[in-house]
Amino acid sequence: MELELKNVSKEFSGVHAVNHVSFSMKKGVYGLLGVNGAGKTTLMRMLCTLIRPTGGEILWNGKNILGLGADYRNILGYLPQDFGYYPDLSIYDYMMYIASIKGIRQGAARKRTKQLLGRVGLAKYEKRKMKTLSGGMARRVGIAQAMLNNPQILVLDEPTAGLDPNERIRFRNLISELSEDRLVLLSTHIVSDVEFIANQIMLMKNGRFFYAGTTEDLVSSMEESVWHCTVPKQSVNDFVGKYLVDNVKTVPGGAELRILSKVPPTKQAVREDATLEDAFLLYFGEKAGDKDDTEI
Amino acid sequence: MILKYELKKVFSKKMNRIVLIAALLAAVALSVFAIGSVRYVGEDGVGHTGLTASRNLAADRNRWAGELTGDKIAQVVSSGKEIRIQYPDDVPNEIYGKTIQSYNDIENFVIGVLTPDTVWDTSVLYQLEDEQAKNLYSIYEKNLQEMAGKYGKTPEQQRFLTEQYEKTDLPLTYEAKDSWDTIMMYVETYGMILAIVIGFLAAGIFAEEFRSRADAVYFSSRYGRTNAAKNKVMAGLLMTTIVYWAGMGILSLVSLGVMGISGFSTPYQIDQPYSIYAMTYGQYYLLAVLCGYIASLLAASVTMLIAAKMRSANVAVCVPFFLFCVMPFIGRALSAFLTFFKLTPDMLLNVIECAKNPNIFQIGNYVFRQIPCIMLLYFVISIILLPFVYRSYHRYGLKK
Repeated sequence: MELELKNVSKEFSGVHAVNHVSFSMKKGVYGLLGVNGAGKTTLMRMLCTLIRPTGGEILWNGKNILGLGADYRNILGYLPQDFGYYPDLSIYDYMMYIASIKGIRQGAARKRTKQLLGRVGLAKYEKRKMKTLSGGMARRVGIAQAMLNNPQILVLDEPTAGLDPNERIRFRNLISELSEDRLVLLSTHIVSDVEFIANQIMLMKNGRFFYAGTTEDLVSSMEESVWHCTVPKQSVNDFVGKYLVDNVKTVPGGAELRILSKVPPTKQAVREDATLEDAFLLYFGEKAGDKDDTEI
Repeated sequence: MILKYELKKVFSKKMNRIVLIAALLAAVALSVFAIGSVRYVGEDGVGHTGLTASRNLAADRNRWAGELTGDKIAQVVSSGKEIRIQYPDDVPNEIYGKTIQSYNDIENFVIGVLTPDTVWDTSVLYQLEDEQAKNLYSIYEKNLQEMAGKYGKTPEQQRFLTEQYEKTDLPLTYEAKDSWDTIMMYVETYGMILAIVIGFLAAGIFAEEFRSRADAVYFSSRYGRTNAAKNKVMAGLLMTTIVYWAGMGILSLVSLGVMGISGFSTPYQIDQPYSIYAMTYGQYYLLAVLCGYIASLLAASVTMLIAAKMRSANVAVCVPFFLFCVMPFIGRALSAFLTFFKLTPDMLLNVIECAKNPNIFQIGNYVFRQIPCIMLLYFVISIILLPFVYRSYHRYGLKK
């Protein structure tokens, strides 16, 4: 089981959305991290045969996925970032329709639909129309449909976008459960989505992968250290201007800062363990951050 | 299973349901109009419309049912003349209800035979001698030959027209045909409504993925580009067939159920003696219904193709309206292109006019009539477009 990107590029009107990416993936969870516009969705759409690369090729077990066609899509499950559905169908009918276009026989489709809806906690809502579902429920249907054909490759593009913290945690756990014996590629700009479940992290910026490795490797590769210090409120702006500040928390008599720096920002600064979020901040600089995650 | 759920997608959409209910109501409303448009005058001179009018009218006229011999024609002409001499200004309703109403169709046939390709002139009835009336078919046959010479611009066309005219069996067989005559107009109107409705529904089949942003899941699934796309095309055709025949079935059942089916075997030539279509009223009705079906198929194919290409139904849904409602007005405005506009798709929904007029075309030595030509042409186009519909979905996003 190997999904290989060989010098893959995608150009839109002279702009390289994906720029000569080469990478190989096997079984496990791969977290694709990058800010909005990094090229993650374009890459995922190419992996799902929705668009053709301008250059390079994507191989599944050594064969071009576009040449494999339906055989490749048969082992693929995809939850797009902008998950759309047929609003007037019930959840059950939607699942059955997707099962049918995935080539699953009716009997097996019924069984699998019931099973997956149970797994995502929607069994009792199966008669409800898709248009009446909340964002979280719709996303759960989304993951269920992606799993219908028990795919070897599961591609999840920003699966937690728009979900509240509870749903996000629930979703993360679900993905972790589903990741057994398959290749899961999960793209996100929310660090916590992949921090604990991804075996490998790829950082993407301007259409290129500029880092790939485990969370631990990524964190340990940072030359900067993480410092915790308390400073007077009036000097917070000075620190923000001078250092990469991960977090600011107002406390009586000042503000607690979490700073990324090679040297201690103050004499009293205490060194702390770096996290993936710190690495994300370091590599994506000012652009980094979904307030939900970086500031809480 | 794909086909089943594809149809479910079509019929579960709220807007589609509203449109279908509107089409159903239109069928009922048009049936009511059709039934209400038949007028029967009783022997007391009182005019009646409504549920029983059509059957009463048929019963009255069927006094003359059977072979329309020369003697029968002479009897009608003589009776008509006597009454008009007696009442030169206006025939009283009682007299009309007692006599003229019953043989009005036959009188009209005689006038039609005697005024080929000229203005409708009722006075020819009064000028007709008894012997001439008895020999009306001789005049008719002579005129048919003349018409073949007049309408045929080449020897091939003349030969073709003569062959068509020879297909009419003489003497004609008469039976009251008012229910078929009446329903024809409503069949064409409703055919137009159905073509527009079907175009609307069909456009959604290929635009829905894009409208609801479900395209990514659809095209990344195993059969999204192959079997599922084929099934979408199938669903379009099946939906067209179901909606068209159900709608037309309701209109026909309600209308003919009330008005009766007398006149199914009456030759169309009773009304249009010089028509080049030798057919009965039943065949005439079936021809119009079949043309309507082809118009609906065309509407479905064209809208599916446009929706699949443009990834939106917005433009696609307007196309049937343009083809069937706007095109006739353009045709009238651009009279210089008359021949072209005789072959446009709106003609499929104008069989009444097409059947009346001797429109023939010639390619080489081959001569053909307007109705079979447009039926074949648009049926073939409807089918030819389907692989393109499939192809645009099959290759979605993957063009080099």
